[in-house]
Amino acid sequence: MNNFSEANQWDYLYTARRRVIACATVIEELLPLLPEDVASETLDFGLHLHPDDLKRALQEKINEASQHADVLLLGYGLCSMAVVGLHTTTAHVVIPRVDDCIAIFLGSCNAYKEQAKKEPGTYYLTKGWIEVGDSPFEEYKRLSEKFGELKAGRIIRLMLKNYTRLGFINTGQYEIERYREYARKTADKFNLRFEEIDGSPALVKKMVFGPWNEEFLVMKPGQTVKYTDFVKP
Amino acid sequence: MSKELIDAIVDMREEDAVKITAQLLDGGTDPLVVLDACREAMGVIGMRFETGESFISELILAGEILSQISAIVKPRIQKGGAEKKIGKVILGTVQGDIHDIAKDIVGFMLDVNGFEVTNLGVDVPPAKFVEAVKSSGAKIVGLSGFLTLAFDPMKDTVAAIKAAGLNEVKIMIGGGQIDENIRQYTGADAYGKDAMAAVALAKSWS
Ligand code: B12
Repeated sequence: MNNFSEANQWDYLYTARRRVIACATVIEELLPLLPEDVASETLDFGLHLHPDDLKRALQEKINEASQHADVLLLGYGLCSMAVVGLHTTTAHVVIPRVDDCIAIFLGSCNAYKEQAKKEPGTYYLTKGWIEVGDSPFEEYKRLSEKFGELKAGRIIRLMLKNYTRLGFINTGQYEIERYREYARKTADKFNLRFEEIDGSPALVKKMVFGPWNEEFLVMKPGQTVKYTDFVKP
Repeated sequence: MSKELIDAIVDMREEDAVKITAQLLDGGTDPLVVLDACREAMGVIGMRFETGESFISELILAGEILSQISAIVKPRIQKGGAEKKIGKVILGTVQGDIHDIAKDIVGFMLDVNGFEVTNLGVDVPPAKFVEAVKSSGAKIVGLSGFLTLAFDPMKDTVAAIKAAGLNEVKIMIGGGQIDENIRQYTGADAYGKDAMAAVALAKSWS
């Protein structure tokens, strides 16, 4: 798919009017890299709990943003199939070919697969997740108000009963110390082994500056995302 | 009274639900009626979850309440000999995935609908499914998975069962966004959207 003339055509796209549409957790990693002329929009993190809502919201954003830009950079992965079925009429849409944002934080699909293989029972935390309040600790606080601390603790432990490791992904962000502490506290509270995993900006960098190699899906105007676009041989 | 039980489960009043169950059974209520109440309550909870009215944690608590109730109810059913098993099902969350709330709900529903369920747990490698099918003689396998990373292990598991020559075994898959595309991709016989679909599929294969 990456033949020479196409590569030339993409050269133009790297400098065309670009716009980022990203999840609230992923935008944290993108913002420090974005050139001034690339605008960005953030979608609510809560959407990921309901993939159909996320799909609708993404389609709306794509339609809207297409009026201001020629290339849309999606800060999303397959995200439980939410991107499958998205359609673009006028813009090119670039999507990292990964399962979800964890691969984006780790820098590649393979890095994610390696971690997943090493220890499937890993609960990952990043600055972005802690910021948007999606962590067992926040859930614990919410539940405590409703059911009391004892029952809240029991529910969270049930939820995490198959987990052994809390993988804190260090993406080298500002104030990392504070987030590391939070992650460590979460691990201690719920009896998980704390481990720091090195993140990498490799994938977000490629997303912004290219090259859009086989790690990316580049949708041309008129195309619709299919699940098979994400399947690697 | 069984309406009271449904309400207690739906409102997550754990202690009440267990107490009412005991009262019902002691008062001579058919254990199968109690299980029916559980089934109905789970339907309501599932619906609330889908509409965003309740959260995952509530689903977990409900699962916990249900397993307590079924622990009280089951011995009585076996004593009464009322229950004839329709068939055996091997169930598990595939390798690399450890989401198990949905799988356990599916297991519970299959169980109360008359199937003998072997729950292999989470992160189950293909070989373990094959082994379980061979040793139990089960004709139905249910694979659960929520991560898209789990689709390949699912495919591998289907292939492993076929490669072992267990061609008469029917395989259903489910979890999250699994649809007809993924069914085709994995080579499974069918996919199910929810626990009731799992029951319907299992029945149609028995
Ligand atoms: C609850 C949950 C968790 C819990 C799991 C607790 C547990 N013990 O299971 C916790 C918080 C621990 C968790 C962790 C993670 N999760 Co999670 N999680 C979810 C969530 C919110 C709900 C899933 C669920 O249990 N639903 C409840 C069930 C009952 O609902 P249901 O699907 O309608 O259930 C029916 C059907 O699925 C069907 N069914 C199920 N199995 C089967 C089998 C058969 C045979 C049949 C016929 C039917 C069937 O019947 C069920 C009952 O009616 C989903 C988002 C979503 N909305 O799906 C994300 C989601 C699945 N998780 C996700 C992710 C990324 C993770 C983590 C990697 C996150 C992290 N920070 O580390 C880890 C995973 C680690 C691992 N290796 O598995 C992503 C997956 C993205 C992807 N790659 O595809 C999702 C989609 C959220 C997202 N968009 O980001 N998660």
